[in-house]
Amino acid sequence: MLLELKNIFKWVNSGSQRIFLLKDINLSVEEGEFISVMGPSGSGKSTLLNVIGMLDQFDEGEYYFFDESVHKLKERHRSNLYKEYIGFVFQAYHLLDDLTVYENLEMPLLYKKYKGAERKAMVADMLDRFNIVGKKDLFPAQLSGGQQQLVGVARALISKPKLILADEPTGNLNSKQGEEIMDLFKQLNEEGVTIIQVTHSEKNAAYGSRIINLLDGRMVK
Amino acid sequence: MFKNHLKIAWRSLLKNKVFSVINIIGLCIGLCAAMIIGAIVYYDLSFDTFHNDKNRIYRVSSVITFGEDRFTNRGAALPLMQVLRDNAPEVELVVPTLNAYIQMVENHRTNAKFKNPTDVIFTDDTYFQLLKYPWLAGDQKTALSRPGQIVLTKEMAKKYFPNAQMQQILGQNLVYNDSIPLTVSGIVSRFTEKSDFTFKEFISLSSAQLFGKENVAYSSNWNDTSSDNQIFVKLKERGNKASLQSRLNALAAEHKNKADWATNFERSFKLQPLADFRFGAQLDVPPPGSVPYRSDVKVLMALGFVALFLLLLGCANFINLNSAQALTRAKDIGIRKTLGSSKKQVIQQFYYETLILTTIAALLSLLIAPLLLNQFQDQLPVGITMGVLYKWQGLLGIVALIFMVSLISGLYPAWVLSGFNPVSVLKGQMVKGTKGTRLRKGLTVFQFVVAQVFIIATLVVGKQLYFIMHKDMGFKTENIAYVHIPRPNNTPQVKKERLFGALKDIEGLSNISYGRATPASTNYWTTMLGHFDEQKEMFQDTQMLIGDLNYTKTYDIPLIAGRERLNDSIKEFVANEALVKALGYENPTDIIGTNLKYDTVNIQVVGVIANFNQHSLHSTIKPMVLTGDWSSNRYSNFTSVHFDLGDDSHQWSTSIKAIEKAWASIYPEEELEIHYMDNTIKGFYQKERRTVKLLQWATALAIIISCLGLLGLVIHGTERKTKEISIRKVLGASLAQLNMLLCKEFVLLVGIAFVIAVPLTWYGLNDWLQNFAFKTHLSWWVFISGGLGMLIIALMVVSIRTLSAARANPIKSLRTE
Repeated sequence: MLLELKNIFKWVNSGSQRIFLLKDINLSVEEGEFISVMGPSGSGKSTLLNVIGMLDQFDEGEYYFFDESVHKLKERHRSNLYKEYIGFVFQAYHLLDDLTVYENLEMPLLYKKYKGAERKAMVADMLDRFNIVGKKDLFPAQLSGGQQQLVGVARALISKPKLILADEPTGNLNSKQGEEIMDLFKQLNEEGVTIIQVTHSEKNAAYGSRIINLLDGRMVK
Repeated sequence: MFKNHLKIAWRSLLKNKVFSVINIIGLCIGLCAAMIIGAIVYYDLSFDTFHNDKNRIYRVSSVITFGEDRFTNRGAALPLMQVLRDNAPEVELVVPTLNAYIQMVENHRTNAKFKNPTDVIFTDDTYFQLLKYPWLAGDQKTALSRPGQIVLTKEMAKKYFPNAQMQQILGQNLVYNDSIPLTVSGIVSRFTEKSDFTFKEFISLSSAQLFGKENVAYSSNWNDTSSDNQIFVKLKERGNKASLQSRLNALAAEHKNKADWATNFERSFKLQPLADFRFGAQLDVPPPGSVPYRSDVKVLMALGFVALFLLLLGCANFINLNSAQALTRAKDIGIRKTLGSSKKQVIQQFYYETLILTTIAALLSLLIAPLLLNQFQDQLPVGITMGVLYKWQGLLGIVALIFMVSLISGLYPAWVLSGFNPVSVLKGQMVKGTKGTRLRKGLTVFQFVVAQVFIIATLVVGKQLYFIMHKDMGFKTENIAYVHIPRPNNTPQVKKERLFGALKDIEGLSNISYGRATPASTNYWTTMLGHFDEQKEMFQDTQMLIGDLNYTKTYDIPLIAGRERLNDSIKEFVANEALVKALGYENPTDIIGTNLKYDTVNIQVVGVIANFNQHSLHSTIKPMVLTGDWSSNRYSNFTSVHFDLGDDSHQWSTSIKAIEKAWASIYPEEELEIHYMDNTIKGFYQKERRTVKLLQWATALAIIISCLGLLGLVIHGTERKTKEISIRKVLGASLAQLNMLLCKEFVLLVGIAFVIAVPLTWYGLNDWLQNFAFKTHLSWWVFISGGLGMLIIALMVVSIRTLSAARANPIKSLRTE
C-alpha cells in the first residue's frame, strides 16, 4: 500500500455557509498504479491532488503515506516526506524562468543535498533519457510547450520518486505533444512509478489503470 | 547550494535592472556616508593610543565658576607642580609644559634666521619620562636639567642645521629672541603614530626665567590659570586617582582667591585622563598641543546620525521595493517549494540576493567615498583619508556593515516571500498583495519625514546664517580693513608711527586709527572694574576695547553722551550702554563723571558710546569700556592700524598697492597681511557654514534616496494597476484624472510625513537657535515651503511614471489580460 485516504473532508467557510471542497474521500493507492482523476471544473480534482501531494491541508480525516500518519506530522516532516517520494508535474509546466534546462533539473537535487558529482551524473542521465541534451543550456522561454513539459516531467522524475502527481499535464499542449507526454507516463508506469493524474480528457484517462470520478468534492462510482 | 544561490540571485538582479539600480544607489549613498564617518571616527579615536601606561596619565585641568558662568581651562596654576612633587606620594611624575612664544631663532654660524617657530614649550626631563620619544642624539636623562638647554625634534634640527649629522648638532648653539643662547642637548624624532602632543622644541624649564617668565619651582601664583601652562601627572597606580583628586580639591580650597571681587569665584582642579585629551570630554578643553581643528564629539555624533539616517533610507528602499515585488516572484517560490525547498532555504536565497546587492553597493562606495570626502575636506582635520578602509580594521568594519545592512534590509522581504503558500500561488489565486502594504507605507512616510526634516533644517539654518551675517552689528563693517603691526621686540615704535603716517598719505584711505582688537572679535579681554555704589563697592566684569580717538570714527560708532577722551594716552574710559545698565544707571548721562577702579587706579568715565556686538551673535552685548594706550612704550596696546578703504571698490587695488609699497619700505622683513572686517565676521560663523554645507549634502542625498524609492514603488504600483488604468481610460478618463488617481496615495504619504516632520524640526531647531543671542524667526513659511518642496519633488518623480502609464494604449493591456 502506497497511500491511503480515510474520510477526508476539506472545506472553506464563506460567510455562514460551509462549502465543501472534498467530502468524505476514501481512497487507497497501491504501488505501480496509474490513476486518472476526472470530473468537471470545480469538482475538487486539483484539491485532491494537492492534498495527496501534501501541499494542501485537509480539515478532517486520516491520510497514511507508507504507513506514516500524514495528518499527525509537522510541516517539516511532511515536506521531507514529499521531497523524498513525490514528484509534481503541472499544467503550466512551472519551470523556473531564470534557470536553464540543466539547472531546472538540478534544482530538486540541490534541495535534497546531493553531492556535486552525483548531481551531474543524475542530470546527464535524465537529459539523455529524454533526448534533451542539446537543449540543456536553453532557458524555458526558448523551448516549445511540449519541450517545456518534457523538462517538467524530467524534473519530477530526477529524484526517483515513488509517486508522480500530474495536474492536467497535457492541458496546455497540442494533441501530438500531449500524446507524447502520455506515452511517456505510460512507459514510466510500466517501469514501476506510481502516477496519479488529473485530466479532462477521456482519451488521456484511458492510459490509466483506474479512473476516479469526482463531482462536487465527492467520489462517484 | 551556496554557489547556486549566488547564481540565481545574480540573475534575478540582472532581470530587475531598474530595481537593482535603485537599490544599489540607495544603499551606496548610505554606505558612503557610513564609510566616511567611520574613517573620521577611526581617525579621531586613534590618537595617543600607543603610550606606555597610558591609563595612568592625566592632565590637571581647571574648572572655574564665577557666579553663573562656568569656564574650563586645560591649564592649571603652576605652583601645583612643586606641591604635588613634594607632597603627593600617589604620583610618579609631575610634568609641566609651558608654551613659549618665540619671535626669532638664529643660527649664528650660518647666519640663518627663523621667524615665529611654533609648538615650542618649556619643560623638564620628566616630560621624556612620561612620553617615550625615540632619541636620536643626546642623553634623555639630563637633556633638560640645566638652564640654556634645548631638545629639538628631528625636523626642526634639520631646519636649523641643514646638512649636519644629528650627533654634530648636539652641543651647537641657537639664539632665541635676539639674545638668549640655547645649547642643543638632544634630538628626538616625532611620534610616528597619531598624537596630540605636537610639540617640536623643548626648552629646559629652568631657562624660562631667561625668557621673562617666573621660576616655576618657586611660583606662588595660585590665581593664574592659563591654557599655556599645563600640568600632566602619571600615577603610581591607576587606583590612586581618587586620592589625588581629593588632594587637589583640598589644594583648590586652600588656595582659593581671597580678593574682594572673588567672593563668588570658585576654581577647582580636575584630573582628565589621557583618553579624553582628544575630545575634551566633559571638561571640553583642547588637546595638549596646538591643534588647528578641534574634534568635537557633538559634530561626530551629528555626522553619525546623518550617516545612520541615510543608511536607513537606503534599507527602507530595499525593503519597500522587494516586498512590493514579492508578487512577481511568488510563482518562483511556489515552484521551489513543491520541488522540496524549505522556508529556510527560500529565506537564504533572498538573503544572498541582498548580500550581493549590498556588496556591489559597498564596492561602489569604496570608489565614491573618497570623492565625497573631498567635498568635506575643508571642515575635517587634515590627514583624514579613506586609507583606513583598506586596513584590516576598515575591511572588517565594511564586512560587518555589509552583513548588518543586508540583514536589516533583506530579512523582512525574505520572510514575506517565503511565507507564500505554494498551492495558492501556483493556482494564481491570492495575490492581492495586501501583505506588507502598511509596512511599505510606514517606511515611505519614514523616508519623507527624514527628507523633510533635512529640508526644513537646511532652510532654517541657512536663514539664521543669512540673518547673523547680515544683521547690523552696530558698527561699520563694510570696506573696513586692518593690519597687525609686527611685534615690538624687533621693530621699534617709530616704525609704527611711520607706517601710520604713510597710510594717512594714501589717497584712497580715510579714518585711519590705532587699536588693538576689532570692535567685534574672538578676543576676550575682560577685567574686573570696581565701582562704588552707595558706599558699597561692587565689581563688574568688563570687556576692554583699545582704540585711539579716531577708532570710533573708523567704525562709525556713535557717541551718545559725554565727550571723547582728551587724547590717546590719557586714563579715561568711554563706556558702552550695556555697562551703563549693568551699573544700574537709568540714563547714559548719569554715568558721566563717575570713577571706575581699574586695579588700584580710579579712572573716570567721560563718555558713552552706543551698543554694538563685540563677538559673534552667539553672545549678547557685554558691558565694555573703550580706552586708549596708556601702557609703556615697549608693550604698546596699539597693535593694529584700522582704516576705511572707501566706497569705491575700483579704487581698492590702487590703495592696496600703495599700502604694500609703504609696508615694504618700513617692514622689509615682515609679510603684509590685510584683514577685512567683513571677512573677520564671516570667520565667526565657520561652524555654521559647515553645518549648512553638511545639511545641504544630507538633504540632497536624502531626497535622492527617497525619490528613487518612491519611483520604484510607483513603477510597481502602476504595473499592478495597468488593467484598471486601461479600463478607466476606455471609459473616458482624462490623463490628468488618471494621474491624480495614481498620485493620490503618495500625496497623502507626503502629507502625513509633513505632519510628523514639523514638530520634530520645530523642536530641534528651536533648541539649536538657543545657541544664538540673536536669532531669526522660525517662520511658518519655512515649514510650508519645506513640505511643499518635498511634495513637488515627489509629484514630479511620481508623474514620470504615472504619465507614461496613463498614456499607454489601453487595448494592449486589455488584450493580454
